[in-house]
Amino acid sequence: MSKTAQATQAAAIGNKQKKAYSLSAFRVLIVEDYPFMADLMSTMLREFGVGNIIQASSGNEGREMISLFNSDEGARNKIDIVLMDWLMPDGDGLELLRWIRGHRKDSIRFLPSVLCSAYTSEQVVSVGRDNGANEVLVKPVSAQKLASRLLYVIDKPRPFLRAPGFFGPDRRRRNEAYKGDERRIAKAEDIKQFNERL
Amino acid sequence: MSDSENKEDTVEIYHRVNRLKLKTGAGLHDGPGFIDPHAVVRADTIIQKKQSLYPKMVEESLVRLDESWEQFKAASGDEARREAMERIYHTSNHIKDLASTFQYELMQHFALSLREFAERINLSRKEHLVIVQAHLDVMRVVYQENIKDHGGVKAEELKLIVAKAIEKYS
Repeated sequence: MSKTAQATQAAAIGNKQKKAYSLSAFRVLIVEDYPFMADLMSTMLREFGVGNIIQASSGNEGREMISLFNSDEGARNKIDIVLMDWLMPDGDGLELLRWIRGHRKDSIRFLPSVLCSAYTSEQVVSVGRDNGANEVLVKPVSAQKLASRLLYVIDKPRPFLRAPGFFGPDRRRRNEAYKGDERRIAKAEDIKQFNERL
Repeated sequence: MSDSENKEDTVEIYHRVNRLKLKTGAGLHDGPGFIDPHAVVRADTIIQKKQSLYPKMVEESLVRLDESWEQFKAASGDEARREAMERIYHTSNHIKDLASTFQYELMQHFALSLREFAERINLSRKEHLVIVQAHLDVMRVVYQENIKDHGGVKAEELKLIVAKAIEKYS
């Protein structure tokens, strides 16, 4: 049995108790300056069942698309997830991410964003997170990696934090006690919690 | 939702409704779901089939690199030279992405090396241009001779050419 078939079989067994997601209602924006790579991502998403896929070829065009689809908080066809390349001319992924997180509209600043980068160092992943990325997808992109990042965004959303110098998903993935000296400067009374209701 | 942007010490935590989960058809309190593993395999198969496009795509990018390099050499002002080098930077980044997707390791190696050098090049130093030219030459050979992996005598020979150029002219 091939490795791919084995992986499929193992996943199928492991998924027996889980629910298969339908992504047909999703609108995903791919911001990538290299059309071939954008098409590859698009192909993968289409196979996953994503219903609406749109592309932008630069960070600046990405901003225009997001403004177009997400400016109206009540719109039903908003972009749900942005996949953005890090290195691009005319506005790179990091600039786009900062623009998203700095936006005054909730429908834009809370937009789930995945930064794609070929850099694999921990430092680069940290830069992505420090600028508000939900996830960092390391290139080369494979269907398995892309599916895994999407599932993370859907299944493990982290609360958003506004702290001095930061706005984005909580950078801590686990809720564990911190072993070192206390370095947090905010006191309990300085922390405000907002629980959104439908 | 309120905003406390002006209160510098305040920390705000926003617990948002997981709209993505709802859009998948699952309930908010349902456990984790999955993407159909057969769809994932199908997607990977389609990507691998696109490997047949690799030679054409690399050829196009190499031509773009050559054009940008010619524009760089012909440019009279700093601004035009900087713009041409920026195009070389982005095109080499595209080649790197393409090569890594289809496991063309040697091309990936040189494309990454060129992109990194284009980032730190001193445009006023003529010796630095030799390093760019060395990259372009070896990438053309790698493409023409369809060398895929790092190993092999020819690959080592080509890597040595670039390494020596960098060592001598940096």
